Amino acid sequence: MANQHAAPVFLNLLRIRFPVGAVTSIAHRISGVLMFLGLPLLIYLLDLSLQGPAGFERAVEYLQCTSLRVASTVIAWSLFHHLFSGIRFLLIDTGSGVNLQQARRSAWLVNIVGVAMALIYLWWVL
Amino acid sequence: MQRFSAVYLGVFLLYLVTHFIRHPQPTYQQWHAWISHPVMNIASATFIIAVLVHGWVGMRDVVLDYVHSLRLRLLVLALIALVFIACGLWALQVLLVAAR
Repeated sequence: MANQHAAPVFLNLLRIRFPVGAVTSIAHRISGVLMFLGLPLLIYLLDLSLQGPAGFERAVEYLQCTSLRVASTVIAWSLFHHLFSGIRFLLIDTGSGVNLQQARRSAWLVNIVGVAMALIYLWWVL
Repeated sequence: MQRFSAVYLGVFLLYLVTHFIRHPQPTYQQWHAWISHPVMNIASATFIIAVLVHGWVGMRDVVLDYVHSLRLRLLVLALIALVFIACGLWALQVLLVAAR
């Protein structure tokens, strides 16, 4: 019974500390995977939009139907979050903003700006 | 490779965003003329290649982190590679047809 306590079992999600930088980091991954999933949709819309004026009109209509408006807003969030958190990671790798306070502040900034840009996109596509 | 492609993707995306801010609602003619302009066409094709490289490395890292069974890993990676190759060829064909 000696190693009964070897592996701590403490998976109360509400009590695990999840720092803001971890949110930025995991969201970088999630947004990357979401863009991979959205890739065929984006290429389909590009294809359609270049097949003459009628196809272009249809692509614009598609973008304005509710389900595609939601999907494209999710992709827009993914794109902007991934872009800004990617820039943040590059800057941190080159040695700027590495102290904890700066890193936390930039993580908050990236998380908020990603959502804000998605909302601006949603307003633009309406 | 991952960073190199990331920088190109970032620069191209910033250009796209500024373009859409300056020309918010293009007509078909404007849209087609923009995409089929040689510089934009080649820059877009390069963007597609960079997406394939960057996306493959990223998705591979994610799969290696979360899928531990060797067989399943190979299967998932093969599927992802197939999707990337198909999407890449499709997108390049769209750009090529637009440029004609």
